[in-house]
This record gives sequence, C-alpha cells and structure tokens, in this order.
Amino acid sequence: MQVITFSSWLGTASTFILSLPEWLQRLIFQFNQTFIFENRWKFFANGLVITFIVTLGALLLGVIIGMIIAIIRSSHDSIQRKPPVFLRILNSICKIYLTVIRGTPMMVQLLIMGFVVMIPKSEFETVLCAIVTLGINSGAYVAEIARSGIMSINIGQTEAGRSLGFNYVQTMRYIIIPQAFKNVLPALGNEMITLLKDTSLVTVIALTDVTKAAQIVVSKTYTAIIPYISLAAIYLIIVMILTKLLSIFERRLRKSER
Amino acid sequence: MNDNVIIRTEGLCKHYKDGTIRALNGVTVDIKKGEVVVVIGPSGSGKSTFLRSLNLLETPTKGSIFFEGVDITNPKLDVNVYRRKMGMVFQHFNLFPHMTILRNLTIAPIKLLKKTQAEAEAKAHELLKLVGLEDRADAYPSQLSGGQKQRVAIVRSLCMEPDVMLFDEPTSALDPEMVGEVLDVMKNLAESGMTMAVVTHEMGFAREVASRVLFMDAGQIVEEGTPQDIFENPKNSRTKSFLSKVL
Repeated sequence: MQVITFSSWLGTASTFILSLPEWLQRLIFQFNQTFIFENRWKFFANGLVITFIVTLGALLLGVIIGMIIAIIRSSHDSIQRKPPVFLRILNSICKIYLTVIRGTPMMVQLLIMGFVVMIPKSEFETVLCAIVTLGINSGAYVAEIARSGIMSINIGQTEAGRSLGFNYVQTMRYIIIPQAFKNVLPALGNEMITLLKDTSLVTVIALTDVTKAAQIVVSKTYTAIIPYISLAAIYLIIVMILTKLLSIFERRLRKSER
Repeated sequence: MNDNVIIRTEGLCKHYKDGTIRALNGVTVDIKKGEVVVVIGPSGSGKSTFLRSLNLLETPTKGSIFFEGVDITNPKLDVNVYRRKMGMVFQHFNLFPHMTILRNLTIAPIKLLKKTQAEAEAKAHELLKLVGLEDRADAYPSQLSGGQKQRVAIVRSLCMEPDVMLFDEPTSALDPEMVGEVLDVMKNLAESGMTMAVVTHEMGFAREVASRVLFMDAGQIVEEGTPQDIFENPKNSRTKSFLSKVL
C-alpha cells in the first residue's frame, strides 16, 4: 500500500500542472498570485466584511428614513381638507430631501460627506460615514417604494381600521403596512441589490471594501484579469444568493393568504 | 335632550369646492335607541355621505353630530373613542386580507378594548356561530364567498360591542343569491334590539325591518315616516317618482 505524503502529492500536482497548456498554466499562476501568495485572500475577506457592514447599516438606515418619509408624505396627501401647518412643513422638507438626493450622483454625495461634512479620521469613522451617506441616499428611494406600497392598499382598508376605532398610526401599523410590505417586497429587494453594488463607490473615501481590496491586489501583481474577474464573480454570487433568499421569503409571505 | 336619542345630527352639511357641490345640505335627524332607520334615495342623493358622516369618515363642513349627547364634531375630542361604539359595515366588506377570520374579529377588541386573547376569541366564536360561520375561523378572507365575507364583517363590528351599527349598502356588491343570507343576519340583529342605520336599495328589507324610513334627495331629507307611510302613501312627488322606478 502506497503512503501518500505531502511531498509526493506536491510532486504529482506540479507534474500535472506542467502537463497543462501554457495559457492555463499562466492563469493558475495568476490565481495563485491573487489569492494564495502572501495570503492575499485576506484582503478580499476583510474587504467583504466591510462591504457587508456598510450594506447592512445603510439598508437599516435607509428603511427607517424611507418609512418615516413615506408615512409623512402619504398622510399629508390623504387628508381631505387642508393639512395642518406642521404637516405641510414636514412634507416640504421631505420633498426637498427627495429632490436633492435623487438629483445628485451617489459618488458626489460620498465626496461631499467624506471631504466636506464628516471628514472621518479613523477606519471606524470612515465606515460610519459610508453607512450614513449610503443610508441617506437609499432612504430617498425606499421612501418612494414605501409610498407606492401604502398607496397600493385600497382606501377601504384604512376606513375599516378607522371605523373600528384604530387611530392613524395603529391603522398603519396593524393593517396597511403589513399588506403594503408584501406588495413592495420585489422593489425593496431590487433596492437592496442596488445598494450592495453601490457600496463599491466607498473606495473614493478610502474605505477598503472588497473593490478596494481587488485594486490593492492588482497594484501588487500588475495583472488585472484575475482580481477583477474574481471581484465581479464575488458580487454576482452574493446577488444571486440574495435573490434566491428574497424569492423564498416572498413565497412564504404569499402563502399566508392562500 | 331625550335620553333615548343615540345619534342626533343638526343642520349637517358637506360642501365641496366652495359650496358649488353640496353632498349634504342641512340634515337634521334623531336616531333613538333600538330604532332601525333605513335611508333610501336615488344615487348621488347624499345618503352614503350622510351615513359616513355619522362616524366622521366624512368630515362635515357645517353642523353638529351628537353621539350619546356628546358633540363629536368638536375637534378637541378623540373621535377614535366614539368610533369604537359605532360599528360600520361597508359595501365592499373591507376585511383585512392578511389576517385569518379569527384575527380579523379579535384584533380590535384586543388592541383597543384591552381584552385578553381568550376573551376576544370566545366572543368571536360565539358570534361566528350566530351567523353560521363557526367552522371558518381559521380561513382567510380570500377563501370566503361575498355573503360570508359580509357576515364576517358584521361580526367584526359586533365584536366591539357597539351601541349602534351603520350599514353602507351592505348588499350592493353581492351576487343576488347571497343577498338573503346577509339580510337575515341584519334582521336578527334588528330583532335583538340593536340600533341600526342602514343605507340600502333593498326595499323589501326597508318595508319589513325598518322602524323609520328616510327618503333623501339632493343632500336633504325629503320625506320620513314609517315604512307604511313611505311605501303605501308617499306625499312628496320626488318620493313618488323614485318609488315608482324601484318598486
């Protein structure tokens, strides 16, 4: 019986690699340079952690901002008579926010937050800056998604809730939002995917996310193909997993009505 | 004010667009305890607006509504407290599609009347039994027929133990063969002594169950009286012409 030692395995492996065509050998070499040599996979792993933290933080902030704005806007629009002054002021502020955020590029917003408003000094502050900027940006889009969801629910649902004696907030919480959420889940999932990919822009405020990690590796290996293709594959795989999870979640929610 | 009067409206008006459209034009009515008041009239006569004003789903532009002696048009009052005592049944049922029937019936008593889940469910089961739907407690509204949905909607209001029930064309969205089952439930409710205000096109129901019939046209009450007065012996020419078309 033959004992497989590590050195004999290495020998077989290298003989195998040397028997491959030259272009494939070069790719394997570059793959080694990108991920294995000097443990460079750690750049990607650490970058991925930052990407996830920023995405989740921004998503949370975006949903909170979006919900608040959607409720202000739709309650303003649903009042039959002239809305009270404070609601009109709040509504105007929301409209200005939506116009400015949706009217300027995310990259520019990051530059302004990173170099004019917040000016982060540490990595923690930079992550915070990225979360705040992306969250504020995402909030504007979530607000319109949420508003469309609230408006998609028949007015009769609100009337039924109010006629039972629920106040506006209770009607929203128990009756309208659970139904609206189901209706906007596809659009919300879309926003989540966009947000994940948009985190790649945080490189401009010198945050080492997974995109920045790939750039660092390219600057070390002097070849772009494997790092960047791998980077694309990483985003693609995450998005595919997310899409799958969302569709499972959606199906589960729909099931409750059957 | 007479203690028996549950709802009194005084000069109720609902004007749109600076008074060019007058959905309600000075409606003064008393609804007494145990009465079944049926409101009839041509479409656009303001009868639905009138009914929806009673629990302020429509805000009147002028006039007062006294519910159990309190003027609920006073903006300082919390209208939600008074709505709890006024059940409302809609033309399109408006059940909550994301909740089971049982949840539809118990959510308001639990959240608003602070009942325990067990109390609320016991009450819901008891009332479901009365309308013959005790076996559908765990179904969702989409699994019910129109008539069943409307019976559940009536029960949902009853679970709040209201002092008065408002019905806004409760059978108008139903297939003809389902109208009867809903009217039967309403008839039983009337016999049990519930105070009811009903907007309907079911003249048979009005004739049989109503203690008083109001005929509305152009935002005003044109004629009112017992079903015999209105149906056998209408005095106003508009009442006569309306009844000649629908009977």
